[in-house]
Amino acid sequence: MAETVKSDELMIIESARHIRDGETVFAGTGMPLVAAMYAQKSHAPHMCFVIETGPIDPQVLPVPTSVSDPKGMHRAAKLGTLREVLGCLLQRGLVDVGFLGGAQIDQFANINSTVIGDYQQPKVRFPGSGGANDIASHAKRILVICRHEKRRFPEKCAYITSPGYIDGPEGRKRAGIKNDRPDITVVTDLAVMSVDKSTGKLQVLKLMPGVSFEQVQANTGFPMTASPHMTTVDLPTEENLRVLHQEVDPEGEYLGKED
Amino acid sequence: MTAAEAVRRYVFDGATVGMGGQTIGRCAMALIHELVRQKKRNLTLVGCNLSINMDILVGAGLVGRTECGTGNLERFGTTFAWRKAIEEGKLVNEDYSHLGMVTRFLGGEMGLPFMPTRSLLGTDILSKKSATTGKKFEIVANPWDPDDQVALLPSLNPDVAIVHVQKADEEGNLIIEGFLTHEPEMIRSSKSVIASCEEIIPSDEIRKYPERTTIPYVYVHAVVPQPWGAHPTSVYRYYMHDADHLREYQKCAREGGAGFEAYLEKYVYSCSSFDEYLEKIGGLKKFNQLRAEMMRIL
Repeated sequence: MAETVKSDELMIIESARHIRDGETVFAGTGMPLVAAMYAQKSHAPHMCFVIETGPIDPQVLPVPTSVSDPKGMHRAAKLGTLREVLGCLLQRGLVDVGFLGGAQIDQFANINSTVIGDYQQPKVRFPGSGGANDIASHAKRILVICRHEKRRFPEKCAYITSPGYIDGPEGRKRAGIKNDRPDITVVTDLAVMSVDKSTGKLQVLKLMPGVSFEQVQANTGFPMTASPHMTTVDLPTEENLRVLHQEVDPEGEYLGKED
Repeated sequence: MTAAEAVRRYVFDGATVGMGGQTIGRCAMALIHELVRQKKRNLTLVGCNLSINMDILVGAGLVGRTECGTGNLERFGTTFAWRKAIEEGKLVNEDYSHLGMVTRFLGGEMGLPFMPTRSLLGTDILSKKSATTGKKFEIVANPWDPDDQVALLPSLNPDVAIVHVQKADEEGNLIIEGFLTHEPEMIRSSKSVIASCEEIIPSDEIRKYPERTTIPYVYVHAVVPQPWGAHPTSVYRYYMHDADHLREYQKCAREGGAGFEAYLEKYVYSCSSFDEYLEKIGGLKKFNQLRAEMMRIL
């Protein structure tokens, strides 16, 4: 077992565990891309990577800085169009896992990556949806990876960019989203949460090693519940960390240089 | 045609401009610099991801409106001039998702007034508070299945599309290699199209392998030969993005004001053409390095 593990390493490795071999995985930019690469290089060598600029099933080279980075196009089955991957694969329902980051996420797992404050003249303007709304609307399972801070976990997002369960268990259905009860899992540096389909709200499934439920609650802007079966996330092995640092991010672009 | 001539002829003040490329890949920077030099004003920029190509026009004060899925350069940060202009209420942005935007170009390219999508439902992208036009969307039931709902989005036909591609011939046939993003739909939906290219190839070669043509000449109005025309963004099979220059731009854009003006002065206004800019960013030595980086990963 590894002696010291950084929170970024844990987040990436734990979220990658939710990807099964052979699945079609749509990964957004940043940490999702890194975690999906880690899955491909470890337990899911036959997963089909899909990137929104058009690459279908590339053998991604370490490590793209963007969805338009040619490192994400290496030995793909096809370099297609945005409509082909977001429309024909994702919207049509052929993507198993959609993998997202997020600026803000609320109790119903809705994501805000657009604005804080007034829409027309916001206090803070974020980049916007990109493909995130499409991924959250259509992927069979949705994985979100982000840092656990109180300001990132408000009770209600000021602006819903990408749908979680909107306002309750029937929220997606009422809004007309065909994919109305997807699994949504959120992996942070403190915990793994998933939407309880009976309430439409996030609950804690697992704690990161050494983290208490109280710590999770203290860093969350709404009352959090713990699953009755709450467990602790397994620590990565030395081999897991070797793959992450040597095969996924050898230059330390995302994880920094190794000590 | 030169970039200066193409921009003079096809881009006008107040035009809606379809923006090619995505984040740090294949942005039509040579043509964008020409828009800045000719000070085309009050532009509406539309695309999926709008990046440094959009940000430099916003920073130069030439943009009144954007319609897009994102403004950013991903790992290189946000589009600072755009972000600041929105936060100061000087620029109106209308948000869609990337599929939402390509859906609008798809409607436009087929001569239809609108196109449905299943994206955006239940979110604030389809709410009054984020609609900057009278009617941004309409949610309707499927006529064949009343329980099934879709959102109709208005089609988009830009006045002019500005793209940079790998190969073109004199007639205007375009070959795009690598990822295609939203460009095929956007190009075919635009009223005129300016394409700069890395190289001009003989029309004989196009006619011999017509299945390789991405966009036939019927959609294209001007072809501008401009090697390295996407710098500092990458061109698949030709060169990698220039991380050093992207960071330099981002530093100036973040600083804004005099810092941004100095960037424009040094790299755009004081250059009579994009070739002069290419000398300033490091010339042959830089090109060899970026080309070698691309060759390593193909």
